Amino acid sequence: MQNIKNIGIIALNTFRESVRNKVLYNIVFLAIALAFFSILLGEWSVFDRAHVIKSTTLSIMSLSGLLISVFVGISLVQKEIQGRTVLTLLSKPISRAVFIVGKYLGLLGVIAVHLALLTVVYYVILALTGSNPTLSLLSAVYLIFCEMAIVVAVALLFSTFSSPVLSALFTIGIYMAGRLSNELMEQVNFVRRVGEIEGGQGVVLEKVASVIHAVFPGLYRFDISAYVVHSVALPTHYIFWNSLYALGYIGVFLAIASWWFSRRDFV
Amino acid sequence: MIEVENLQKTYHSGFFMRPKKALTDVSFHVPKGVIYGFIGPNGAGKSTTIKLLTGLLRKDSGKILVAGFDPSKVESRKHLGYSPEQPYFYDYLTGRELMRFYGRLNGLDGKPLEDRITWALSLLNADKDWIDRRLRTYSKGMMQRVGIAQAILSKPELLILDEPMSGLDPVGRKDVREAILSLNKEGVTVFYSSHLLSDVETISHRVAMVVGGKIVREGTVDDITSNASAEYHVHVAADIPDADLPQDVKPQGTTPREWVCKNAEARDRFIDFCLKSGLPIERMEHQRPSLEDVLTEEIARAEH
Repeated sequence: MQNIKNIGIIALNTFRESVRNKVLYNIVFLAIALAFFSILLGEWSVFDRAHVIKSTTLSIMSLSGLLISVFVGISLVQKEIQGRTVLTLLSKPISRAVFIVGKYLGLLGVIAVHLALLTVVYYVILALTGSNPTLSLLSAVYLIFCEMAIVVAVALLFSTFSSPVLSALFTIGIYMAGRLSNELMEQVNFVRRVGEIEGGQGVVLEKVASVIHAVFPGLYRFDISAYVVHSVALPTHYIFWNSLYALGYIGVFLAIASWWFSRRDFV
Repeated sequence: MIEVENLQKTYHSGFFMRPKKALTDVSFHVPKGVIYGFIGPNGAGKSTTIKLLTGLLRKDSGKILVAGFDPSKVESRKHLGYSPEQPYFYDYLTGRELMRFYGRLNGLDGKPLEDRITWALSLLNADKDWIDRRLRTYSKGMMQRVGIAQAILSKPELLILDEPMSGLDPVGRKDVREAILSLNKEGVTVFYSSHLLSDVETISHRVAMVVGGKIVREGTVDDITSNASAEYHVHVAADIPDADLPQDVKPQGTTPREWVCKNAEARDRFIDFCLKSGLPIERMEHQRPSLEDVLTEEIARAEH
């Protein structure tokens, strides 16, 4: 019980610390400005204005969430170590896993508030432009939150053992791999089907693609903007199963981060 | 309260992870209810030992028990309070907010927490207006007081302080000394490191001296200083030419008639010399060495 309480206390402190970060405000203001810019994009586009506004705003949510995870998230643990506040904190009766989970939830709170704010902006824009603001759009926002929850866990994992710059590169790398792994598999399958790959090289390429697809979190699953923008029905229980999928990856990443962090020396 | 046996710790640094031994063989035992001073030169291994006791570092080999628990276990930290050397805190919080944060992590809340904060701050003479200011505006001395106050919030059985007097003015040092004595009277075991050896001599029941990653002396201040080589000051009522002096005898400062004999053998040689030369001896003083003298001697021995 005290462990859960301590996670909450550290999460709240992390949230308070993060909302003082100027980088966060820059990202939030930029995201809001770009969301309003989507109105102009909708006007200029040859496609349906409502579709352009909806898909652009959802992409902005995803991208700004990624930027917050990377630029705010990776510095969280490093700041504690370099600022030496970790010495006093870890001498309290808390495990290092509690520290990691608390930090994670604190940053997730920041992402949640950011997405909530952008969602309000999103609906205001849709209402202003008469672009049919349906509640189904919330499912897309929820899955963006799930995707960011995985990205934050990845960022936190890397920040327990590498420098902020390397952590940022690794996190963006995993994000790209996770986003593109399905397309990569489709390309490999397509090439194989048309018979352009023959012999050893093709097999190796196929195996590499399969490993990336199997090991890295399939972040493409959380992008359902095409479904909601065009009002196409999602497969049954799609959101439920993908929520579980996200939880599974988050659990694994946080477990590795906690294990690694518990082996660290704080000089 | 603390048991340390054959403790070893090596740091690895640089691209090639070059090893550097910080502790080669450290053993000591801190009984319950004592004030235990841990002294040594810079880089001797004091902070390393303290961080091993608090679970911030992992040992290479040896045994450590804190209140009967391995320091890597959360259980051990339920019994201790720790203030690091030059404590650093979240500077966007006020001193009081920081105390609340750490108090909650120790399972305190509501009125008991507020009462405990008031108690801890008043013990450190930190219940002043500045406690409600942001920590980024604090002086080193204020930080040190807040650091110790947060360490005692949970009323721990064991208090571990790394250089608690550093950065404090004479009044601050007195306040910290009195706080340590007051807590010890209530049964708290205090383990602390310090460079201010006069303070260590005044308040410590036992002292361990660490040099080059090894404990070189351990015991009460009396044990340590009485085993060390004492100086003898001999006052002679006539001038002595320097050239005739026996070995290990030197004049004291600019006083030509006070002579310092480094040890008992030198004293005996000097007395013999005076008697044979017909020099009248006025008086002789036996000066017990201070902890500083002993430490200086041990550092010199380690360097040779």
